[in-house]
Amino acid sequence: MPRWSSYEIPVDTGFFTPLGLQPTAVCRLGFNAAGRWLSRHAISHRRLVAEHRTGLVVWSAQLAFDEPVRFFDADCLEMRVTGRVRGAGTQFECEVEVGGPFDTRARLQACCVPLRLEGDPALSGIPARLGPDVMAAFLPDEIEARPHRSTLPGLRAAVVRHGAALARSRMPFVIHRHQCEVADQWFWPEAISLAAGGREGLVQAEAERVPLLLSALRTPVRRLDLLFNRPFFLFDEGAVRSSAHEWEGRLVFIHELVGSEKDQPRALVTEQFSLPKDRAWD
Amino acid sequence: MIVHVNGALLRFTDYRRVITVDAPTVEAALTRLADEYRPLHTVLFDRRGRVRATHRIFLNGELLAADQLASPAADTDSVELLLAISGG
Repeated sequence: MPRWSSYEIPVDTGFFTPLGLQPTAVCRLGFNAAGRWLSRHAISHRRLVAEHRTGLVVWSAQLAFDEPVRFFDADCLEMRVTGRVRGAGTQFECEVEVGGPFDTRARLQACCVPLRLEGDPALSGIPARLGPDVMAAFLPDEIEARPHRSTLPGLRAAVVRHGAALARSRMPFVIHRHQCEVADQWFWPEAISLAAGGREGLVQAEAERVPLLLSALRTPVRRLDLLFNRPFFLFDEGAVRSSAHEWEGRLVFIHELVGSEKDQPRALVTEQFSLPKDRAWD
Repeated sequence: MIVHVNGALLRFTDYRRVITVDAPTVEAALTRLADEYRPLHTVLFDRRGRVRATHRIFLNGELLAADQLASPAADTDSVELLLAISGG
């Protein structure tokens, strides 16, 4: 059986919006939970970097919400986390549940690519397999031969092909240090913050023409998918190219995060919202 | 040659983004840059003095392979240094 770790963390208001748990908070808590699991069952993230010259970079993530978990529901969030190696050591995947009372949960699945670090202060690295000494720390049930494959390109193609396009927008941004991690590279949950900013800008600009868009401010996001191509670094300039679609009874936003030069793709984010009951998917 | 420094490398050039370097080749420009900004040296070069494979170096917008770094370059040419990925 794969090993799970469970613990509680006290809530604070910064984890929440009026609509429920912030997706960015779930990702930050989830990444921390994965580090906690690794530390308890295999090796700490710091030792992985410092002693084994191995970094972990998230390249694909999915976030799904049951009923919203709200600030006033309970004093603590219940965290559950497990980890596994996939693709013969080319991926580390974590599964995290962030729960409130009444069995409400946010579920995060994030797949990381190990990097073999060069050993320089910039922590530069290239994709590599986890070393045998690290692999040995995982149980047989925590090693899966099949690599994770993102379903996001297929989802995006289906939405674009079969959905009804409602509106689009572009929001420029600059990456500042408070958005970065230890290597002056953006911390991956920032992709969600930037995408959400793009969506809110789009809704504000277009809601009068397309009132349906207001569902994306009135209701919490139900599902998020992320796929990373290349990171942004400190002071990099980019833009969020957002488009809104009605597809299979849901409101879907596709956000392409692109570098400012030639619009090189860096990350893709989709957000799915329930529509009012007469048009809803569930 | 005009060297453009980006992102994660900025802290090694004291946050200077555009630096003019007098050198006949891209490789020589990188060496002089690393001499001027010593913290950059271990970031840019491995123990054998070769440019680390984790960097992407562009000359006037064109990606250079490792064996093209000795190509001659003029004062007005533009070199861009990018770190492909970091692992924190």
